[in-house]
This record gives sequence, C-alpha cells and structure tokens, in this order.
Amino acid sequence: MIYLYFILLELKCIKLNLKADIKVITKNTIDGYIDKIPPSPKALKATLMFLDSGNLAKAAQIAQTDLALSGYLRGIVNNPLYGFKNEVKEIAQIFGILGLSGSQQAVYNYMMSLLSPSKWHLFKLNKSTFKTLQDNLSVKWKLILNHLEIDAKDITSAITLLPSSIIVAEALFCEHIEDVKLLKSVKALDYNTILKRLCNFDLFDICEAVANKWDMPSEISQIIQAASGVKPSADVKINLLGKWMHLLLFYELSQPLFIEAGLNDFIDFQIEYVGDIYEDFSTVMAIS
Amino acid sequence: MRALVKDAIAIFSPQGFLDGNSANAYLTIDDIEATSLLKVDMVLVSLKKVIFFNRNGLDIFIKMFKKIRAKNHATVGFCDYDSKKFEAIMKFYKDEVNFSLFKSHEIASLFTSSFKNKSKTVLLFSEDKSQRAAMAIELHDNGHNPIMTQSQEEFWEKSANAVAYDFVISDTYLGQMGQKIATRVTGNAIIYSLSSYLDAEIGDTFNIVYHNNSLNVGFRLFIFDAYKVISMNVHALNFFSKLSSAAAEYNATICFAGLSFEKIPSSFKETMEDSGIMFFSQMDNILHDKELMADLGGSSSVVMKNKRNLKKLTVTELPRFIDATVLTIEMMTNSKAVKEAVQINEISIADKTDKIASSIGFYGEMDGMIILIFPKEIAKKSCELLIGEETDDIELILDSLSELVNIIGGKVKSLLLDQGISVNITLPRTYSDINDLLDMTFGRKGAQVDLAFDNDKFLFFLTR
Repeated sequence: MIYLYFILLELKCIKLNLKADIKVITKNTIDGYIDKIPPSPKALKATLMFLDSGNLAKAAQIAQTDLALSGYLRGIVNNPLYGFKNEVKEIAQIFGILGLSGSQQAVYNYMMSLLSPSKWHLFKLNKSTFKTLQDNLSVKWKLILNHLEIDAKDITSAITLLPSSIIVAEALFCEHIEDVKLLKSVKALDYNTILKRLCNFDLFDICEAVANKWDMPSEISQIIQAASGVKPSADVKINLLGKWMHLLLFYELSQPLFIEAGLNDFIDFQIEYVGDIYEDFSTVMAIS
Repeated sequence: MRALVKDAIAIFSPQGFLDGNSANAYLTIDDIEATSLLKVDMVLVSLKKVIFFNRNGLDIFIKMFKKIRAKNHATVGFCDYDSKKFEAIMKFYKDEVNFSLFKSHEIASLFTSSFKNKSKTVLLFSEDKSQRAAMAIELHDNGHNPIMTQSQEEFWEKSANAVAYDFVISDTYLGQMGQKIATRVTGNAIIYSLSSYLDAEIGDTFNIVYHNNSLNVGFRLFIFDAYKVISMNVHALNFFSKLSSAAAEYNATICFAGLSFEKIPSSFKETMEDSGIMFFSQMDNILHDKELMADLGGSSSVVMKNKRNLKKLTVTELPRFIDATVLTIEMMTNSKAVKEAVQINEISIADKTDKIASSIGFYGEMDGMIILIFPKEIAKKSCELLIGEETDDIELILDSLSELVNIIGGKVKSLLLDQGISVNITLPRTYSDINDLLDMTFGRKGAQVDLAFDNDKFLFFLTR
C-alpha cells in the first residue's frame, strides 16, 4: 500500500519541482525594480529646474499645468499645520508661502508620493498616513535645520528621500510577507539587514538609485546614506545631518500611528550613532 | 508587536522612544494574549534600542507583565540597558519593583532553564544583600557557579580580571521570579530541580510541553533533583506516576536524586517505583557512572523500541514538507534546489564526513519528525543570512541551524494549516556528529529525498 503513496509522492514531487521557481530577492530583482521607476514627469522637471534657479514665479506657472501636483501643493498649505483661515488656491501664492527651500521640498515630496503603492501590504499604511509621515518629517526637519542654522534648499529637500526607503521595502518584500514573518520570528532582523545579506545591496542604496534616476542633487543621497545609521559619512557635516535624520526617523517611527503600521523595526535603530546629539534633539523636539 | 522567543525567553524589542502613547501601540490585546499563551520561562522587554523612556511608557509593559504572571507564572521584566537606564527605572519604581531587571538578555538566560545551559562561572554584585543572596541561589539552582562579591571595591577588583568569569553581573535585580521548575541539560540527560512542598500545583509549574518535546527529539533520561523537597501529597504522587508511565512509551527513564522520605509516606515510594521511577541518594551517583548513564539512556540518544512507520496522511503531505524545506533554504541561500532521488527506507547517508544535521518534530493531527542533513558548506551558507557573516564556529553554525529548522517547522505548520491540518512543532535539535543521528533513527523507516543546491548534496528525511 505504501508504494502507491510513494508513486503519488513522486508525481507530486515532480509537480513541486516545476513550481519551485520561487522569487527570491536578488540583485536582478532590485535592478528590475529600479528600471521600472518612471522618469520624473516633464512638468516636474521643469518646475524643479526653475526652483533651482530661484525663479519661483516661473516654477509656479509650470506647476500649475500639472493638476495632480497643484492639488498636492494646495493640500499641503491648507493643512491645519499652516493655520490659514481662508483656502489658498494659487500656486504662485503657495510657493510664496513655502519659500524656495519649502517649495522644492514639497515638489520632491510629491515625486515620492508618485512612487508609493496604491495599496500597501507589508506595512499598514495608506495614501493619507504616508503623507502624514512625509509632512511630519518635513516639518520637524525644518526645526532641526533652524537649530543647526542651516539654510540650504538641497539639505531641506534631503528629508523627502527618506520615506522612499519604506516604499522600497514594501515593493521588495510584499510578495514575501510570510517568509519574512517566519524569519523575523526566529531572529530580530530588520528589512535593511535582510536585503543587505541577501544581495549585498541595501534599501538606502536603492534610495540613492532612485535619487540618481530623478536627478536629485548628490548631497541628498549622501545624507540619506548616512541616515541609514550603518554607513557614517567621512564628511563631518553630512555625517551630522545623517545622525539628526536617523534620530528624527525613529522619533517619528515611535509615534503610535507608525508603530501600528509595523514601521518601528523596519530598519535597525543605531542608538550609539546618535548618542552625542540626543540631548540637543530632545531640546529641539521639546521632549521631557 | 510580537515577542521573539529563544531559549525559553520571549523578548520584545521596541526601538526609539517609549512613552505612554507609543507603548500602548506596541501592545495590542492580541499581542498580550499571544504572549501569555507562550510556553516560556521569561517575558522581557529589551531596552537596548530605546533612547528615551518614561514611567508611563514602562507602565504599559508592567501591566502586561501582571497579566502574564497571573496566567503562566513566568519571570517578567526588562533587559539590555546601561547603568543610567537601570538607575532611572529604580528611581521610577523605588520600593515597588515587582519585576526583574537583567543587564543583558544573556544574563537573563542564566536565570532560566535554557535548553543549552551549561555550568558558567558568574561573578556577581548587588548593593542589596538579599538580592546578592537571591541571585546566587537562583544561579546555583540552575547549575551555575556563582561568585559573590561583598563590596563595590571587591567587585571592581575581581571584575578587572574579566577572563576569569563567563559572566559578570551587576545592575541586575530579581523581582518575583518565575515559579517554573528549572531545567538544565547534561549530555543527553535532562535535570529538573524541585523544591519545598509538592502538591497539585506541580501540574502548572512543570513545563509538560518542554518535557514532551524533549521526548520527541530523543532525550531518554530525566532526573529530578529533589534534595530540597520537603514533602509531597497524593496529587504530586499521581503526577509523577503518570509522567513515568508516559515516558515508558518512549523507553525513557525517570529518576529522583536526593529525595528524602522522612516526611513522605513510604507507600509513595513503592507506588512510584511500581510506575518505573528510580531513586538515587546522590545526583553524582548517576552523572558520574558512565555505565549507569548508558543503561538509563543518558549517554546517547536511545533507539525507540516501538518503531513506527509513516502514516498515509504524512506521506500524502510529504511534498508540502519538501516544499517548505526547499523554499526556506532557497530563500536563505539565494540558490536553486534540484531533487535528485526519492526513496522510502531507513536513512542512508553515503558519505558522513563534513556533515551536520538537525531535526524537528511535529505533533497534533499528524505526527512525525523532519531530519535535515547538510554538508557543512550548505549549512554555513544557509545560516549566513541569520549570522550576518561567514563563520567556521561550529557552535554558532549549529545554533543558527536550529533557527533555520525552526523556520522550516513554522513553514510546514502554516502549509499544513492551509490544508486544514493542525500541528505543533517541537524544539529543534542539532547533531554535530552524524553517528548520533543514526543512533536515534536506527530502525526507523521514512521518506528520504536527496536534493542538490548548486551541486551541494543535501538530504531530507521524514519519519515518525
């Protein structure tokens, strides 16, 4: 009798081998992902170009032609955070309110939102909560830069690239949720470490590739790499900004909304890396 | 957030900032319920990656601790902190510290019944005399060698020679300890430590799941260290008699060492002897007598008398077992598996050199055991993702192999559940010597599948 099952088993095993072509995450998967990222739309490119040259009026004129971007910008300025009584509709007015750095930051935030999935599977996020994360990071990054007395639009915009690490983790791991759950049930591994160990390429390398594809200034990529907490920069200023950004990220990821979204342990918090700026950080964020 | 369980310790690892709002978000009702159902000796919250916490944040976890203790008597507390954090916690709670504090989770593991616990030399200091004594007693009970220092100066002086000690303990506080029966492993014998008066509560404090898992993975000698037992009642007597009868099915032996019958009726001894329990006046009489250890089944894994064959259901589900194994190892090695041969017979290993093995049992609506035999190179490669670097440290590889097999067991469990078959998995066991594995599987028939990963041969064996 057992041999009948043995034959059955053989047949099933053959079937198994045919379907065993599972998708593991390899360097090719990552290359494929980066290839699929669309180039930034023409209107966005032009808006950023005019912002870069300091021409707010021309930038607003171009931004106005992109309805989705205009809607996004109106959403930012009419957020209760800004406290305007009347709705601000004109893009020129919005850019005027945000200033050069703030406008560039807002446009980059919009670009990142284009990259985010319509439905999240790995993390319990949606369009609105992801935007909340972007807004919170941007507002608090501004506070930090004020404290550090830094007024440079590329550095202001650097924070916009940080959430792309979450988008990339979602894109690469959403098809492996069960495998990752099992892996995480026996070892406290974060997504960045898993990816690095699988393909020697981490989430922040992919963020850099995204930044390059979208012609973002190289300073932004450098700050983001340092903000991973595992790749300190040799450049003192970049490294300092990386520390502040790493700590800011975990300050945000310790908020109930993002803990519930499963983001608290998406990368490894490098507590030693930020040890020397913690006191200043707690002053800036009024933590008591 | 779910706790990570290792060596009978469940650890929560929040990151960043811990206040009243965030701590609430870490623990849902489901998380607390799932944690209280865990068969663990300790539930701890690691503060290693927490840069800020306040009392409100810790209070949320302390509420969970209370629920867990009420349900399963586990030791609860915080671990992985520096002196500053230790002082802050002591200041927050002053005289109401009813949880434990362990400077690191490695130190916590010394106070629990770790499956791999070995005798460690431990230097310890606490300014509180009663804490010093409590720690020394707990460590001694768990089979370690504690060295107490009486003053901070003596501690500094001795701890300067850190190589003399396996562990140095300071900034540690024992709150209410778990009431679980301590367990340690010596060779292939498992030693349980009993104390005081034994009554019906033994059914709650004895980890029967751990015991059954130990039987399933091949342990055959269980010794109760009973020097500190004062007396027992009929409920405890019944418990041990039943335990011994159940162990007999596995050809396992249960012994008591150092049990005094001064305050125990002599009829109890006869009843226990009738159910197969053996009595020794000294623990060393068993452990140091190699011949006796071999007779009792504690020198190596002993072959089961009742050889069992694979059941129809197990064979039918075999592809799912292989599927789980192959998918997991493919994921861990980023390489592709090719099935080379399938046969049903006793396990056959053509070349035993440079091989290590691991096994994991499953039980429930179907039962059996998965055995995986790896060439060391595949084992190393498979474990690289868990270890994070290449290593030749065999202990580390075997440890990671257990984790890997745990993942496979978890995957099997979920694949079977998809088919409506509910099973639980046992603790994994690893074998650095293939001959030990062959002893354990001698006479057992099963399904053997030879697989190749990038031309490295790998063997899968499913048996009962």
